[in-house]
Amino acid sequence: MSSIFSLTMLAESIRIAVPYTCAAIGGVWAERAGVIQIGLEGILLTGAFTAVAVTHATNSPTLGLVAAIAAGVALSLGHGQLTERARVHAVISGIALNLFALAATRMGLRALYDSASNSPGIEAYRFGPTGATGGAMLLRVLADPVFFLALAAVAATPFLLQRTRFGLRVRAAGENPVAAASVGIAVTRVRLTALAVSGAICALGGAHLAYDQQRFESGMSAGRGFIALAAVVVSGWRAGRAALACLAFGTLEALQIVLQDEVRKTAIGDLIQTLPYVATLLVLALAPRRAGAPEGLGKHAAD
Amino acid sequence: MRGPVMKIEDIAVRYGDCWSIRSATITLEPGVIHAILGENGAGKSTLLKAAAGFAPRVAGTVRIEDGRGFGAQDAAGDPKPQAWTNAIGMVHQHFMLVSAFTALENLVLGSEPTGSFGRLDLAKARREAEALMETTGLRVNLDARTSDLAVGERQRLEILRVLYRGARAILLDEPTAVLSPLEAEELYTTLGALAEGGATIAVVTHRMDEVLRFAGHVTIMRRGRTVLSRPITADERDHPKRLEDELTRAIMGGEPPPEASPPALAEDAEVALSIEDLVLVDAAGKRVLDGLCLAVKKGEIVGIAGIEGNGQRELVRAVAGLEPGVAGSIVLGGARLPAVRSTEDLRKRRRAIAVVHEDRHADGLMLDATVGDNLVLGELGQIDGPAAEAALIKRRIDRFGVNPPDAARRAGELSGGNQQKVVVGRALDRIEASPERALVVLGQPTRGVDVGAAATIHGAIVAAAEKGLAVLVVSADLGELRRLAHRILVLHRGRIVTELPPTSSDDVIGRAMLGMEDA
Repeated sequence: MSSIFSLTMLAESIRIAVPYTCAAIGGVWAERAGVIQIGLEGILLTGAFTAVAVTHATNSPTLGLVAAIAAGVALSLGHGQLTERARVHAVISGIALNLFALAATRMGLRALYDSASNSPGIEAYRFGPTGATGGAMLLRVLADPVFFLALAAVAATPFLLQRTRFGLRVRAAGENPVAAASVGIAVTRVRLTALAVSGAICALGGAHLAYDQQRFESGMSAGRGFIALAAVVVSGWRAGRAALACLAFGTLEALQIVLQDEVRKTAIGDLIQTLPYVATLLVLALAPRRAGAPEGLGKHAAD
Repeated sequence: MRGPVMKIEDIAVRYGDCWSIRSATITLEPGVIHAILGENGAGKSTLLKAAAGFAPRVAGTVRIEDGRGFGAQDAAGDPKPQAWTNAIGMVHQHFMLVSAFTALENLVLGSEPTGSFGRLDLAKARREAEALMETTGLRVNLDARTSDLAVGERQRLEILRVLYRGARAILLDEPTAVLSPLEAEELYTTLGALAEGGATIAVVTHRMDEVLRFAGHVTIMRRGRTVLSRPITADERDHPKRLEDELTRAIMGGEPPPEASPPALAEDAEVALSIEDLVLVDAAGKRVLDGLCLAVKKGEIVGIAGIEGNGQRELVRAVAGLEPGVAGSIVLGGARLPAVRSTEDLRKRRRAIAVVHEDRHADGLMLDATVGDNLVLGELGQIDGPAAEAALIKRRIDRFGVNPPDAARRAGELSGGNQQKVVVGRALDRIEASPERALVVLGQPTRGVDVGAAATIHGAIVAAAEKGLAVLVVSADLGELRRLAHRILVLHRGRIVTELPPTSSDDVIGRAMLGMEDA
């Protein structure tokens, strides 16, 4: 049991929580601006693939990171173009985005590495001490530049949304686009800007996922974007709480890994694996319905 | 600083294939309150929107002369320059406020004072807002969540925002439709002061008495055209009757309809509706109906007066059978109405009772369905084939003068008054054809409806009473109650506190509405 309250456990929890958190913060940006975004999953996946492909080609994880962010912004803006200008329903556009990302990364794997399952290994960031002690693991997790950027995004989002002019306009566009337009705010432009921010932060999570594994695996986002969306809903569309929800989820997943080792030989070993998902379902079922949802979610300034 | 002179010259506005304004010319000068009157759908709101630069103009110019020279905006003047947005402020009928924001956030939205890095400077905004509230007397709690503000406060917030943006021209679309008489009075006092201070003020309204009392200039629109636009002299204001007749004729394009009056009531008419000890507790534990008792005879029209939120909405819903939690008895035609447990029960009740809810958007209409579908809503399976349905729809459109008379149009595209005609027309026309008819319950039957249509609706209400139905009318318009009702009951905190004759003065009714004992 001591393994549950250890530095290893803490390190694992944080490491696992980062992609969830990035996707959730991305979700907060998109949806607070009034754009339904179920395409977080696809952006995570694309971010992961782009990061690996560019790192593999250039040997620079930083260039990989920049490329991942650019890909995330592009996908997110594409979603915005479809929903805000072409008025495609955001759920349809989001599904398309996810399917596109899944297929495109698969095709990329085939074309670049002639593989159906994964890319060759890459050299990602390596900061912090080596070694297998809990403390060393924790330091490695915390010294990761991607983690640092994610942390900055979590910290900056509430401030930007609540205390800046841009944030006020994003929230106005999300709460009541008609009213926002009536006072001269260019709602579409504000939404697209928020979507760019959303895509960038979400892709950051994808890059973290890939650098953590030191390679890309087909479909490696594995539903994280959707669980992040659940975190957004549970948090009432608030960045800080969404990040906490993701951390809790990361902890459960880490717990699952640790417990699995301990009870491997017993019958509940398989059940333990479902722990994080059962927890998500429970929390979603118990959370107040749509409390805090932006009123103008999915609505447009002019119909 | 004087407000701009706005010259709107021969403009035309079209939405889809429907002309909203065919030809309108009006000059708005600073210094007086301009009133714009007209029937529902005459193009009044569109005229304001065109002046503010919101409407898709296809012809004509809007010229703004304020000494700084914004110049003219020709046809199809999109996109609208920011200077335009700031110079001319519009207070829309449906408020353009973000309900999740604080009042202060809404006030600054769109012209936010910022510090470095785009940081909001709400402290500065607050200072400016305080100063503005000081000079204008418009007070709003800046820290309250906007959804918690009362309607009157939200309207003050809208006006403050317009002023905060530096606008010297304020255009208000039916500002008094949502206000109590006292609040309306205050609003006009404020607007009058702003006008005297040199602002350009234009108000769209349906209420003739407001025009006669407060306006310095009046414009009448009829069917998309400005048919009259002239100043009102102080002399005329002292003798308003002739002016009123002139304006009414211009609005209607002919002689005004006779005023409705309640039909004669037989001495021995039996009681049709009797409500005993009605109690309803809302989710928050408040007794919104608190032992309400009333009785209505056959052929009698009973008016319910009261300040909004004293149980009017719940009373209508309880009689309609939509409040399952209600306690007490409702006796109709000698038999106690059973509790509604199924849609069949509800249909049964609806065959005896016609209901018009006060909020037509929430309870009365499917805004995305056609006018035709809305006009026969709830009569599924009772109409004999599509031809009969079309005939029924046409009759209801003609009888209540729904404009445009197009059954295929989306109900949401109609002006508010015409939507009201659909809701009232459906209820009244249906109940007259029902063999089990007994009662009509109307919540705000003519809210937002013009003079001509109100006369039609009043006529239909009187006709229903003449056919022997009991009629219960809930209205915020005391003039309407006085004209229609045999008796006026005053509702206060969920119970009837007084019964007054329709000859009572505003003052007497008003005091009773406030719950004053000596009323």
